Amino acid sequence: MLRVRENRQGLNRRIEVARVLVGVVFAVLAIAYWYTQIVRGDYYFTLSESNRIRSVRINAPRGYVLDRNGAMLVDNEPAYTLHLYRREAKNLASSIDLASAVLKLPRDQVKARVDRGLRDPEFLPITIAENLGIEEVAGIEAHAPEHPEFAIIVSQRRLYTHGASAAHALGYLSEASLDQVKATDSGYRLGDWIGQKGIEGAYERLLAGVNGERRVIVDSHGREMAEERRLEARPGQNLFVTLDLGLQQIAEEYFRDKVGSAVALDPRTGEILALVSSPSYDPNWFTRRVSAKEWNSLLTDGDHPLQNRAIQNAFSPGSVFKVFVAYGALAQGLVDPNATVFCPGHATYYGRTFNCHKKGGHGTVNLRNAIKMSCDVYFYALGHRLGVDRIGEIAKSFGFGSPTGVDLPYEKSGLVPSEEWAIQKRHARWYPSETISVAIGQGPVLVTPLQVARALSALVEDGRLPTPHLFYASQEPRSGKRLRYTSETHEGIVLDPAKLAIVKDGMWAVLNEPGGTAFGSHVPGVEAAGKTGTVQVIGRESTVKAGADKKKLGNHGWFAGFAPRDSPEIVVSVFVENGGHGNLSAAPLAKLLFLKYFGKPMPEPPAPRPQQRAEKPEPPHFLTAARNEAGGR
Amino acid sequence: MIGGVASVPRRLDLVILGCAISLALLGILFVASTTGAGRLQGLATRQALWVAVGLAGLVVAVLFDYRTLLKISFPLYCATLLPLVYLLFFGVRIQNVKSWIRFGSFQFQPAELAKISTALLVAYLFENEDDGKLRISAFVKLGAIVAVPFLLVFLQPDLGLALTMLPLLAVGLFFGGLPVRGWIAIILVVAVCAGGAWFFLKDYQKQRISTFFNPDQDVLKSGYQVRQSKIAVGSGGFTGKGFRSGTQSQLRFLPVQHTDFIFAVIAEEWGFLGVILILGLFATLVLRSLTLAGVARDRGGVFLILGLAAVIFFSVMVNASMMIGLLPTTGIPLPLVSYGGSSVATTFLSIGLILGVHYRRFANA
Repeated sequence: MLRVRENRQGLNRRIEVARVLVGVVFAVLAIAYWYTQIVRGDYYFTLSESNRIRSVRINAPRGYVLDRNGAMLVDNEPAYTLHLYRREAKNLASSIDLASAVLKLPRDQVKARVDRGLRDPEFLPITIAENLGIEEVAGIEAHAPEHPEFAIIVSQRRLYTHGASAAHALGYLSEASLDQVKATDSGYRLGDWIGQKGIEGAYERLLAGVNGERRVIVDSHGREMAEERRLEARPGQNLFVTLDLGLQQIAEEYFRDKVGSAVALDPRTGEILALVSSPSYDPNWFTRRVSAKEWNSLLTDGDHPLQNRAIQNAFSPGSVFKVFVAYGALAQGLVDPNATVFCPGHATYYGRTFNCHKKGGHGTVNLRNAIKMSCDVYFYALGHRLGVDRIGEIAKSFGFGSPTGVDLPYEKSGLVPSEEWAIQKRHARWYPSETISVAIGQGPVLVTPLQVARALSALVEDGRLPTPHLFYASQEPRSGKRLRYTSETHEGIVLDPAKLAIVKDGMWAVLNEPGGTAFGSHVPGVEAAGKTGTVQVIGRESTVKAGADKKKLGNHGWFAGFAPRDSPEIVVSVFVENGGHGNLSAAPLAKLLFLKYFGKPMPEPPAPRPQQRAEKPEPPHFLTAARNEAGGR
Repeated sequence: MIGGVASVPRRLDLVILGCAISLALLGILFVASTTGAGRLQGLATRQALWVAVGLAGLVVAVLFDYRTLLKISFPLYCATLLPLVYLLFFGVRIQNVKSWIRFGSFQFQPAELAKISTALLVAYLFENEDDGKLRISAFVKLGAIVAVPFLLVFLQPDLGLALTMLPLLAVGLFFGGLPVRGWIAIILVVAVCAGGAWFFLKDYQKQRISTFFNPDQDVLKSGYQVRQSKIAVGSGGFTGKGFRSGTQSQLRFLPVQHTDFIFAVIAEEWGFLGVILILGLFATLVLRSLTLAGVARDRGGVFLILGLAAVIFFSVMVNASMMIGLLPTTGIPLPLVSYGGSSVATTFLSIGLILGVHYRRFANA
């Protein structure tokens, strides 16, 4: 068949045009790829590297905390977290069903967690539940073949072995706050655990160690394909604290139904042997993500369980103060220890009558017996002779009015009054009559139980003020190498041993002679000495409060003591809020601690009640800014 | 009718054949690279099988007289549209699209065949049109011929596959001789329709379009694919990261890398050199087709070559632009290279037809 060629001029022209168009398109594509690959190549190469390489942190195991004898106080335990990888899930609904069945959680709750996670990028796992039990872990693992989307993450959780025991000394962990993340500049991220308060807070750096890092190659699902580089974590140091768990537990048992605090100190070194603040809390709550209800109950509890009363509550010292006033007066030669004062049960200064706690009076008393029987009238006379500023100087030389420097955060400094203080802070001149009450530890003198223990340490240690501390030693977990704390003491005042002996003798009589205020807490087999104190709770709103809470109006009891008399190894300071008189509420704990410390047989009932009749403290008679006023013995 | 065996190579265009086979082999190589491990293992073997099937189809297409095909192009056209209609009503959704027909373990996209039959019918339409101006009647017929398969595929809904029908319309209009004012009118109408359609688009559709214009805005959703493929392409640099060493592809940051995004894998692993190799092979194939079109025996042959080459050219252009974000992601594979049996086999068939037209270029053959 032969066909005539039709006219194809137009068609051929268009084909030529098309050829140019095609050429242009390919040229443009080539240029675009040139730009992307050559001009911007480095930029995209960096992006591809950051795509595939992910830095994964290796958490450094946190150091343990042990007591001075090596008893475990804070341990780590494995905690299991359930993660869900969305991309692996064939059917999210069935994943939710399985999780809710195994965890015995309401389906809605699980679904809510999943829904919340759906907003995050796909490669991030969704956290379904924390703190799984072993059975739950097994339940999930059993379904691993059909449900590859679930992953169990094992991490270390802090375990406070003895629950609420020593909680205030140990502190707790909580998730780092936004401020902490910004402030510390030491690699904390939101959601990281960080030590709060106590040892955990004070020695955070030591305990936390240094996190390591793994640079891993991941695929687009975030799955690890290979490890590129690894920098091992440096585990945190194990910390031995000065606490003695045995003493600590005895004190805690004693405070089970009481509010208050107690400190036992080694006066030679400042090592804190026991530190109790009651009521306490269980630090384990925080690491198990405390529920809103539990948290609220902690915050709204009128007794403020989170507060460390041994360093954060300052009260009038009551008659415990007398021993320091007595020594000060002796040291300055303002009193002859043998000179006597006649106590008729009251005394008059500046037109006011000041009562002694013993209505009938103590009769003729010298310094030793004034301490032994806690005669108020004797110390009124002493205070009158010293004046407030000299009393203040004495108090300051024993460390009152300033922080002890203990290795715990949020310590209060208390208050030591002076005429200058009255004008500057109170904007009213000092009334001389106030000095009379300050002499027996009432009025605007505020001290913490730890300050009392430290001051007493100075008294028995020839004036050296130790720095109370909990740090005993740190231990490198790999090598086992230990690092001891070097004791730090301040030269306070130089004490005259002869004058000191008189005060010590009076304190010995308190516990060891009939008529001593704490003779009922006499410690058989131990040469113990001490001083009681009682603070009557009164404020201007007292009448209003009286209607509200009678319990809160009871007297506060103090006791400060040491043993043995001649070369003291332990100083004890006990404060019981609204517990009644110091001889009844506070001294019995000191007795128990002395017995325990010196290995003497412990009495069967926790705290035998002394058969001594308590006398009523005098009514309040001063207008002071202090929260508590005092009448004491 | 069939010439002596010795004369076959001489008469067959070996440039086009060589380009096509090279591209198909590169395709098998990179399908193997991206599917070496895991559940996709074995796809390269399958792809090789399809290439073999395609080559067999190519031989048949070369030997079969295209004139016969043009004569029966209307019944062929109808026959290939039937499965599309069937799919619309009884199709099973695979990846949200009803475009596959299953034969045992093999799946086939009838739309791919419809492209060829539509190209045949368009060529048949212009067989008897005069050179010069496009007549109104031809214009309407051309519109209808392309619109029917376009809509059938568009409703599956497979926008990418439907769009590959459009080059046939463009070929008809341009080579059929649409005057300049006709082009202006068409552009105006399209612009007005597009503007109006914006108000009827669903939010997610608008989202996709705005993602195209600003892919970094929405890194983890719609923009993810484009961003990852740009990173893959860009990070390849001049010589690439080496075969099977592309981090973007081997670690699966690239989506559907063995199918639509295989060009990004080549760009990452073989760099700009690999890109130039692939684009060069395609450019040679298309430009050579235009040359062959110019020497075809009759108008039907010219239009058949132009239509089939335009479809391939369009797919390459859109796919290559997609990788680096020059055009929105539409799901158009790279012909001969991307994994996919129907696409590979029908592209070889198209090339067979192109070669066949050229094979019979002498009037007395």
